[in-house]
Amino acid sequence: MQFDDKVPIYYQIKNHIYHEMMTGQLAAGAKLPAVRQLAVDLTVNVNTVQRALGEMIQEGTIESQRGKGNFVTTDTTRIAQLKEQLVVEQLERVYQQLHALNLSDDEIITSLKQYIEQRGQQHD
Amino acid sequence: MTNVLAMNQVSYKRNLKTILHDVDLTLETGKIIGLLGENGAGKTTLMRLITGSAKGKGTVAVSGDTVIANRKSHISFSEQLHGFSNSTKLDEVIAFYQRVYADFDPKQFTELCTFLQIDTSLKLSSLSKGMKEKVIIALTLARRTNLYLLDEPFSGIDSMSRKKIISSIIKWKPENATMVISDHYVSEIAPILDEIVIVKDQTIYTHRPADSVREEFGVGIEAYYESLYEGGVQHD
Repeated sequence: MQFDDKVPIYYQIKNHIYHEMMTGQLAAGAKLPAVRQLAVDLTVNVNTVQRALGEMIQEGTIESQRGKGNFVTTDTTRIAQLKEQLVVEQLERVYQQLHALNLSDDEIITSLKQYIEQRGQQHD
Repeated sequence: MTNVLAMNQVSYKRNLKTILHDVDLTLETGKIIGLLGENGAGKTTLMRLITGSAKGKGTVAVSGDTVIANRKSHISFSEQLHGFSNSTKLDEVIAFYQRVYADFDPKQFTELCTFLQIDTSLKLSSLSKGMKEKVIIALTLARRTNLYLLDEPFSGIDSMSRKKIISSIIKWKPENATMVISDHYVSEIAPILDEIVIVKDQTIYTHRPADSVREEFGVGIEAYYESLYEGGVQHD
């Protein structure tokens, strides 16, 4: 995995695991690799993996079972919430950037619609 | 959190020239620390002050021990194998380590050799620069100690060997041990560092968590490190 050195590593580890959860590589209830194994796989510090997983346990996206390891939550409502949160984060970023170009809300909606339609045609 | 290292007001001169002054440095157990600074900034001297092979003013405690002989038993320092003649076979070096260091773990050493693809039947003279660095890492990590000091393990070696060495650090550093890695080339080790210590102006210029640099300044470790040197020029 390639890291952006400007962004806290624990944050990028969380996003990496979220991504695997969203794409189904880590399904609901799936067991995560052991902490050290994750550190080796991602070439990061064990403590940083622990921090990322600790935050995810706190927020309820993964569950820690004593002596067994860490598992993706089976709470589908929580996963749906996470997905919504990730979508909102991305939309916020795009919105802010378009807003900074002086586009009104209506113009943003129109240009997004147009973009998606054109993109669809190109890919047909 | 307990401390593995406590340096208090340590100063060191060589031939009347101050190399380091007023060094206060405390390191917690279980961390990986990047010791950064220009060539000649005093990184190696700092390590030698920790092991006790250099003696200065002030106090140094490793796992609470200030006596040099005891300190050395808590530290695995990446020595450059200068004490061995070129015709020495690796097997003989390993036998020496086993004899001298009670905490040398031959099983762990064998695992490290397999991982780093080290052929222990070779002579020191036939090792490439990268292979020699891998041997030094394997010997250093095969000891079970509280504090590991790696002095520029990545200088002059190819990127594949660097990656292997970084992986072996993640795999084999004991959970409760602290590791100090000195380097002046930061970008490749940045993701594995808990904290950075920057040596500049003959003292510890900065000591802080690596992720706090990213979080507070929105820059990478390398950019932060370079900016300190650029900023420093104005004070000269």
